[in-house]
Amino acid sequence: MKQKQRRITPGRVLVALLILFLYAPILYTVVFSFNDSRSLTRFTGFSLQWYEKMFTSKTTMSAIVMTFLVAILATAISTAIGTVTIIGLSRCRKLLRGTVNMINDIVIMNPDIVTGIGLLMFFATMTVRKGFLTLLLAHIMFCTPYVMLTVAPRLRSLDPNLADAALDLGCNPLQAITKVIVPQLMPGITAGALIAFTMSFDDFVISYFVTGNGVQNISILVYTMSKRVNPSINAISTLVIVIITIALILINILPPLWQRINRKKEEPV
Amino acid sequence: MKRLCSAILLGTIAVLPLTGCGGPGTEFDGTNTTSVGDGTTLKVYNWGEYTGENLLQNFEEEYHCTVIEETFDSNEMMYTKLEAGDQYDVLVPSDYMIQRLLNEDMLQPLDYGIIGNIDLLQEDCSGLPYDPENEYSIPYFWGSVGIVYVKDKVDRTALEQKGWEILRDPQYKDRIYMYDSERDSFMIALKSLGYSMNTDNKAELYEAYDWLVEQRELVSPIYVTDEVIDNMLNENKDLGVMYSGDAAYVLAENDNLGYYEPQQGTNIWSDAMVIPKNAANPDLANEFINYVLTYEASQDNTETVGYTSSNAEVFRDESSEGGMFYQNEAYIPRSGYDKDEVFEDNTTIRQLLSDLWIKVKAG
Amino acid sequence: MNRFRAMAYPYVLFISILVVIPMLLIIAYAFTVEGTAFFQHQFTLDNFARFFSDAVFLQVLVRSLRVAVFTTIVCLILGYPAAYCIAKSERRQGILILIITLPTWINMLVRTYAWVGILQDNGLLNAVLGTLGLGQLHLMYTDFAVVLGMVYNFIPFMILEISAALSKMDPSYLEAAEDLGANRRQSFLHVTLPLSLPGIISGITLVFLPAVSAFFIPKLLGGGSYVLVGNIIETEFLTAGNWSFGSALSLIMAIIIMLSIYLTRRIDRNRGEVS
Repeated sequence: MKQKQRRITPGRVLVALLILFLYAPILYTVVFSFNDSRSLTRFTGFSLQWYEKMFTSKTTMSAIVMTFLVAILATAISTAIGTVTIIGLSRCRKLLRGTVNMINDIVIMNPDIVTGIGLLMFFATMTVRKGFLTLLLAHIMFCTPYVMLTVAPRLRSLDPNLADAALDLGCNPLQAITKVIVPQLMPGITAGALIAFTMSFDDFVISYFVTGNGVQNISILVYTMSKRVNPSINAISTLVIVIITIALILINILPPLWQRINRKKEEPV
Repeated sequence: MKRLCSAILLGTIAVLPLTGCGGPGTEFDGTNTTSVGDGTTLKVYNWGEYTGENLLQNFEEEYHCTVIEETFDSNEMMYTKLEAGDQYDVLVPSDYMIQRLLNEDMLQPLDYGIIGNIDLLQEDCSGLPYDPENEYSIPYFWGSVGIVYVKDKVDRTALEQKGWEILRDPQYKDRIYMYDSERDSFMIALKSLGYSMNTDNKAELYEAYDWLVEQRELVSPIYVTDEVIDNMLNENKDLGVMYSGDAAYVLAENDNLGYYEPQQGTNIWSDAMVIPKNAANPDLANEFINYVLTYEASQDNTETVGYTSSNAEVFRDESSEGGMFYQNEAYIPRSGYDKDEVFEDNTTIRQLLSDLWIKVKAG
Repeated sequence: MNRFRAMAYPYVLFISILVVIPMLLIIAYAFTVEGTAFFQHQFTLDNFARFFSDAVFLQVLVRSLRVAVFTTIVCLILGYPAAYCIAKSERRQGILILIITLPTWINMLVRTYAWVGILQDNGLLNAVLGTLGLGQLHLMYTDFAVVLGMVYNFIPFMILEISAALSKMDPSYLEAAEDLGANRRQSFLHVTLPLSLPGIISGITLVFLPAVSAFFIPKLLGGGSYVLVGNIIETEFLTAGNWSFGSALSLIMAIIIMLSIYLTRRIDRNRGEVS
């Protein structure tokens, strides 16, 4: 058990190879965003024209903003709803739990086109004006099952008496959840939020049918570009990578700093 | 709680510079502040990447309005949203889809009091069968379907002799791209067999099905859609079925490629501007159509997208010396050839075609 | 605790409206004839008859299931050890998870196009192999390309699920196992693996379900003749305009898959009760 930290284990090699595998196409995308010609597969020379095209296009820029906005909101809301629901559901009767789980599975499994058309018909019947809110609602709808699916295993491994114990010790139910249960679920919640963000960020088909009035996300732009696919989609992707990387660096630097400050405050106590 | 949520949401949206140059009345927050009929917002629903670089912006400036552009990548996608009640001012569907929209009474007549530029329309693409008097539609781009081939791998005379049949020549086994759509594939098979591509005769359709199955057995073509553009550009295979607009682009980029429209006849397609019945700003929509017809806008369109212009003068200038598509065989679609046809909307065979096509591919 | 129970109700209401109602509309389509026009329907079983009358649809469904199962297995074999490693590396766990997830935030279409460029006959990979003098590989439009595309797309989810289940696992379990004389292999098999089983099941669900209905990856990397059930459903809705048959197909698929999930869950539950 007491091995040196930096040993090369087969597991580490595997992780490294996997990362290489996951990033090879990304690197390819970044390189081709600087392509001189329209081709996505033949590099003819260096150029920044696709970036220029992206930054000057009102539609593209607003799609990028919209994608992030919807993804962040949908992730936050569906993570909250998902976590709360799965905790509540664990106390519900088996029948309800089973039914909800089954419906969640169907949401995950259904081809996007089916979900999309279903929602399209639903909103059409309701005569809702389509746009940002319908888009966000749909995203919350298809993201929440992923969160629940991811949090559930953690919850199941918890001692079922944990909450009761907390209540017996004088917590109120809110405290029991936020101070006792949620911290235990945290790895699952984080993973669930990451998956929800992915789903929202990358969705085309459902978004396409539930949005309207000029509200478009990156995926809609990219997919409907099919007549003239060009490296501007690579430029968009590269910009997304840059934005996310910066955000991640900030997120990774700030909380530890924060913690350190807090710890210093708490230590004397 | 709910109000709080929506307040937060609305607040967030308000902060974001989403509306671009849009003034008041362009918020897309899902509330009922619609822009119906205010005469300053135009909603265009067009194919992706199908508009000139500066066209929309110029139109906005000239007509002091905001253009919202949404995009689709198949006629059926567009139709689905339209049918669900989404409202647009200008659409750019293809021939057979326009016919379908007309049959279902979803379009309104154009206002020639506004569209004075109709005289600029290229003659070859005016008065097409789906709208003989151009009462409802004005072509935006048009062209044909043909075979793009690698010049030093495929003999032009053999190609001219065999026409579509070259796509079944075992010499080119594994060297062929077919277009993955039941419409285009059956067009090829039917034309090759000497039938009309709009036939609803089951026997003929089954014969075409056999043609396609045999083709698959003989040459195992790869069925692709838009990837064919990049693939032919890189000469990944020797022959590929392509739309003339895409062909014009690959020919412009690679001298070793040629375009040929087989003698058995082909599909003359067009994407045209129409105004749906439920348009909120029909006047502005007519102005827009009129604007697209101008030399300036048409030139922007054709030079950005690479498809054949519907403006007669632009068409002439681009294809003659000094033009961007000088000596580009794909830029000038064949016209007036009696074996060429325009697609019709045929509801009775739609399902049969799609079933047969799945069987060709998956069988 | 009844008070906690109420926490599930808002979501139940939410999905009843946004999932169940649209789903019922789809089911209604599956049992009716012709028409994208509302309220003009007649009850029929034709759509199902059509599915079972032609072997090709069943073939396609079987093929989709096969590809999905294969993808899931590859994801599990590669993903489990990776997730295990990540979950063990206490400090770097967070950043590693993010590194694994980041690629999924790039548009799937863009990533798949990149694979086309890499795998093509005269693509990047063959160029590299060529310069190394290793000859050429024909990879595009093969099973390999499709499974690679699928694994690429879905493996991050498998890793996320499993590492979430493994992370911050109570070390006392392992210590206890060690105290009881278990060697590493035994403690893995009897402690770690059972504890991660719910994560594995979630991971399998998250890979398998979307893989069955995937349509873009097979289309781009497998070519048009690589027809999977997702492709047919997509075409029925978007090119053939036959919503009824599309709905029926997705319903048949859903039923078959729900049955298989139900069986998997039962296995999970039985195991859970043992440990």
